[in-house]
Amino acid sequence: MSDAAKQQPAGRARDYEEQLFETGAGIGIRALYQPEDTGDFDVGRDLGEPGDYPFTRGPYPGMYRERIWTRRFQVGFGSPQETNERIKYLHGQGANGFVITIDLPTSYGFDSDDQIADGEVGVTGVPISTLEDMETLYDGFGPDAVSYALSIRPPVSAVTLAMLASVAERKGVPFDKVIGTQQNDPFYQMSGGPLQTVTQFFPLDGTLRLCVDNIEFISKNMPRLNWMVTNGYNLRETGINAIQDGAFTLGHAFDIFRRARERGLDVDLFPRRASFFLSCSIDFFEEIAKFRAMRRIYARTMREEFGATNPECWRLRFSVQSAGNTLTRQQPQVNIIRASVEAMAAVFGGAQSIHLCSYDEAHGLPTEESSRMALRTQQVIAYESGITKTIDPLGGSYYVETLTNDMEAAIRARLADIGERGGMVACIREGWLEREINAERIKNQKDIDSGRRNLVGVNRFRIPPEEEVPIATHKIRADVWGARRGEYLRQYRAGRDPQAWADAMAHIGRAWKAGENMVPALMNAVKNKVTMGECHEAMRQAQSWSFR
Amino acid sequence: MTIHEPIHEPIHEPIHEPIHRPLHRRILLAKMGLDCHDTGIVTVASVLRDAGYEVVYLGLHNFADRVVKTAIEEDADAIGISFLSGQHMTQMRRLIEQMQSEGLRIPVFCGGVIPDDDAEALKAMGVADVMLPGLLSSDVAARVEGLLARGAA
Repeated sequence: MSDAAKQQPAGRARDYEEQLFETGAGIGIRALYQPEDTGDFDVGRDLGEPGDYPFTRGPYPGMYRERIWTRRFQVGFGSPQETNERIKYLHGQGANGFVITIDLPTSYGFDSDDQIADGEVGVTGVPISTLEDMETLYDGFGPDAVSYALSIRPPVSAVTLAMLASVAERKGVPFDKVIGTQQNDPFYQMSGGPLQTVTQFFPLDGTLRLCVDNIEFISKNMPRLNWMVTNGYNLRETGINAIQDGAFTLGHAFDIFRRARERGLDVDLFPRRASFFLSCSIDFFEEIAKFRAMRRIYARTMREEFGATNPECWRLRFSVQSAGNTLTRQQPQVNIIRASVEAMAAVFGGAQSIHLCSYDEAHGLPTEESSRMALRTQQVIAYESGITKTIDPLGGSYYVETLTNDMEAAIRARLADIGERGGMVACIREGWLEREINAERIKNQKDIDSGRRNLVGVNRFRIPPEEEVPIATHKIRADVWGARRGEYLRQYRAGRDPQAWADAMAHIGRAWKAGENMVPALMNAVKNKVTMGECHEAMRQAQSWSFR
Repeated sequence: MTIHEPIHEPIHEPIHEPIHRPLHRRILLAKMGLDCHDTGIVTVASVLRDAGYEVVYLGLHNFADRVVKTAIEEDADAIGISFLSGQHMTQMRRLIEQMQSEGLRIPVFCGGVIPDDDAEALKAMGVADVMLPGLLSSDVAARVEGLLARGAA
């Protein structure tokens, strides 16, 4: 193929300026918005004040005038020691919030030396197999001084919460001073999609029980620790649209809240520290409208349906990551521009915390250089652009308010549909969610093939491969990391009291069968050197369940 | 225990009749290791079905022994594996070793988020093609057709 031919869009991708006047989710867009387009929009009822019901203008009164959103650093690779060193370095540079990514074996509750972990130890995050690993992560800091957001889900989050509580005890930090976030989404955390990710290695009912155990333990003991019930980000990354994103995310949170309420937890207490992790995609106004509409639906549902009277329980707070699935491998520096657009939409949408994808993520794991670029992008928006200097600057825009209303109506319609199907958990169990996701994924590819959706560098404005700039990627040393961790765990197990270990394992089984909250039993276990994998094995055995 | 059985039925009905059904060949697709990002492979399964292939998709969390055993039992003409979380070198090495020890000689291809130098290393290891992000459906179908033709030659 000649270079000239390569520059032509392939397939049926169009190379002329034809525009579709609709949002990514298919909401029609008019040429001009006039006052009458906002319908029965009522400023007092639908917009309100920032920090007040229904929170359309933002969850806090002062928003970014009082505090710029948190620019979290994502860390976690190799070993707890290397990760802690990196955190110390970044802390010295002024950072105090970190997203700790966890490697895949740990995410499924396996120790680093499990055969299933071959080639995966330390690759996508830090391995945590022992209480000592968690103590290493907190070396030099108390859990009241630095805020770690652990990207982890139940069942594993029950063990990491037990480890965090044990670290606090050993460091003499009272539970009510512990800060940070435990992600605790039972379904969407493992990249959102297939049910297989949440059923293959642990029984689903057990996972749901541990999710509520965590909520109960945190709301009763650690009032400053956030727990994140809904990882809408991973869900959106599967390829669903903004309306589905809003509906499936909120539907899932409300379903978990109902379970917490059934446990007897107080709806005026436990949702205070609930938060959301959401994607911000490339369709600028649609994403802004999505965030505003989600805040409004959440406020109205929590007050009117759940009957919460505490205004803190009406307030949807969320962190954002820019959409990884909008990045291209081709002409990767263009991804910096995409992340900028997405970050600005998140700011206009009122996000509390933002993490931008690095431009090289379609090539491999990000490097220091590309991570720094992602941070600098946010800093330009925060400190140079001036868009933070007034609250909800788009509030009152005929278009933004109309689109917010349209998004709210569309998300509510999907929520009603989910309700008729028995709630989001039932929709997931029955396979309905996976079918919705798969249909949307295939539609996305067809839209790119046909040119219905533009993707710069892929179906439009391409360059020949030889003009692409080479990209350096983070080097993976899975074999070295795995071998080192294997040796560490061999020594850890050799150095423990076998009787205390056996008693702690038996205690897990008894607590499970008695229906107790599992966090105290898991604290006892990790303090007696029961490992992550062994905690899970004991809980599986208590359910008479095995996958091997 | 939940075992993910091979899925034979289409994930959706093809919207367009394939222009030609030259091969009626069977492609085994799978995710290997603990990685659970399946958007790419589910999409590729659909693209290949639309192009006239019979696709057996094994789902997530497969290891080399199961992939090779299934490929033999299903009489697959090629194997395709997808990666997003950095397991590609380890898992493809295990897969090729297992194919050699079982005497299975069919083309194996992979795709996903794979750095350029790793893609070259995979080809040197005997991987027939490495498909990187940003391909259109027609490119995917053409490249699979190409590697099957080379495999038959």
